[in-house]
Amino acid sequence: MEIFLDRLFDGLSNGAIYATLALALVMVYRATGTINFAQGEMALFTTYLAWGLTTHNVPVWVALLAAAAAGFLLGAVSERTLVRPIEKRGLLATLIVLLGLFSVLNAADGLLWGRGNQSMPSLFPNTLTSYVSVLGARLYWANIGVWLLVAAVVGLMFALFNRTPLGLQMRATANNRESAALSGIPVGRILMLGWGLSAAIGAVAGVLFTPLTPDSLSLGEMFPLLIYASAAALFGGLDSPGGAVVAGLLLGVVEVLLPAYVPAVGGQLQEAIAFVAIVAVLLLRPQGLFGSKEVERV
Amino acid sequence: MSLLQVEDLHAGYGQAEVLHGISLAVEPGEVVVILGANGAGKTTTMRAVAGLIGRRGAVSIDGAALSSHEPGAAVAAGLALVPQGRGTFTKLTVTENLLVGATRRRDKAEVARDIERWYEVFPALGRRTGQAAGTMSGGEQQMLAIARALMSRPRLLLCDEPSLGLAPQIVRGVFDVLRQVNADDGTAMLIVEQNAELALDLASRVYVLEVGRVVSSGAADELRDSDTIRRAYLGY
Repeated sequence: MEIFLDRLFDGLSNGAIYATLALALVMVYRATGTINFAQGEMALFTTYLAWGLTTHNVPVWVALLAAAAAGFLLGAVSERTLVRPIEKRGLLATLIVLLGLFSVLNAADGLLWGRGNQSMPSLFPNTLTSYVSVLGARLYWANIGVWLLVAAVVGLMFALFNRTPLGLQMRATANNRESAALSGIPVGRILMLGWGLSAAIGAVAGVLFTPLTPDSLSLGEMFPLLIYASAAALFGGLDSPGGAVVAGLLLGVVEVLLPAYVPAVGGQLQEAIAFVAIVAVLLLRPQGLFGSKEVERV
Repeated sequence: MSLLQVEDLHAGYGQAEVLHGISLAVEPGEVVVILGANGAGKTTTMRAVAGLIGRRGAVSIDGAALSSHEPGAAVAAGLALVPQGRGTFTKLTVTENLLVGATRRRDKAEVARDIERWYEVFPALGRRTGQAAGTMSGGEQQMLAIARALMSRPRLLLCDEPSLGLAPQIVRGVFDVLRQVNADDGTAMLIVEQNAELALDLASRVYVLEVGRVVSSGAADELRDSDTIRRAYLGY
């Protein structure tokens, strides 16, 4: 039982991070209609930035805010200068540009911060003794912190979307760009804002995720995370923020529990779970768990 | 001074020019209809005036020039377009659709009152306020599109084929509402319509378009009596 709970807690923490990054992917998908392949690398770039700041004795919470702000700029500028001019050439062209951005950002990380593995300081107390006992299992403060911060980010996003005029403008723009423009919504600014927010959320995900494992900040860190987040976004229905969050949590838990209780999966096949989830969703329920099938009468 | 003045308007898609120099005007409070066969450039005219596509030539409202390719500027100047195909925000609720129509307004209480007004004018919408707009019938979506455009309290309403794909009975209802709004609020209208009979009833003036040019214009009554127009657009 204790071991099960330990695993469950770990899985929920990973899942919360997948959920956050999946939420970022959903925001871009709703605005532009593509998966942002560079989402993970944007998060990695800003995570490196936060780590770089902490090596200069900047408090890690300040570094988090700086990373989120830098992420916002990176996302907004990418939309304005790379995505918007190329968008009218079609989805494929946009995807290729985003793949290009993926490799440019990764190379820039290597140039600026080197190729070695680094340890990112945690936002929360994370010594071996900073835990509370739950039914004999250890629930670390680091886990609780991740859950709370992710819950806060998700809650803020939902409030923004569903409770503010700005959120209504964002949803309207995602739903029908031309009608949004005809209603006087500044569509260009709304798109930049969407990409900016999405990359800022990605930055938070990166700064939260990296300290969970020592020595994990490296050039290859975010790619598996992007795969999991894509699987979660797809599983949740791509255009459903709520679906992305639920699916992210689910995937995090399954990814930890399955190898533990199904020996055949072992430690090596873990990442395959995400791929299996992607293929299964595409085959069985292309609109995802919570996604909307286009309902339209003409 | 005319409310809307369009002079030597050229517009098109990519290399293909569709409008070869169109000039027209709408006076304050006036209803004007554009007739023309398929491909004459009626929809292109509407989209160019609303700023959805690039254009050459002058478009001005109350004498102030509108910048091209900027739908927001046209809305700010008091123009609203009901696009062909209705442009429904399918995933938003009916009420949210109307709120989006009022994006540029700051008078919250008045916005709420206008929403109530359109729910009274269109009871079918009033019964479905929380429903996703994409699940409504074509007629209901057309009413929603008109109400959404009117939520910006425009001085000039552009209507692109409001009757498209609707049952005759519904079409009559839609035109009755347009007539009522014109009478009550003095909203000027520029309407593109295939159903010439209905449109000529509502309009006081007509422009006839052929392959991107205005070939004829005049008072609605005169045109209705002219043999050429009757044969070409009324079919008898």
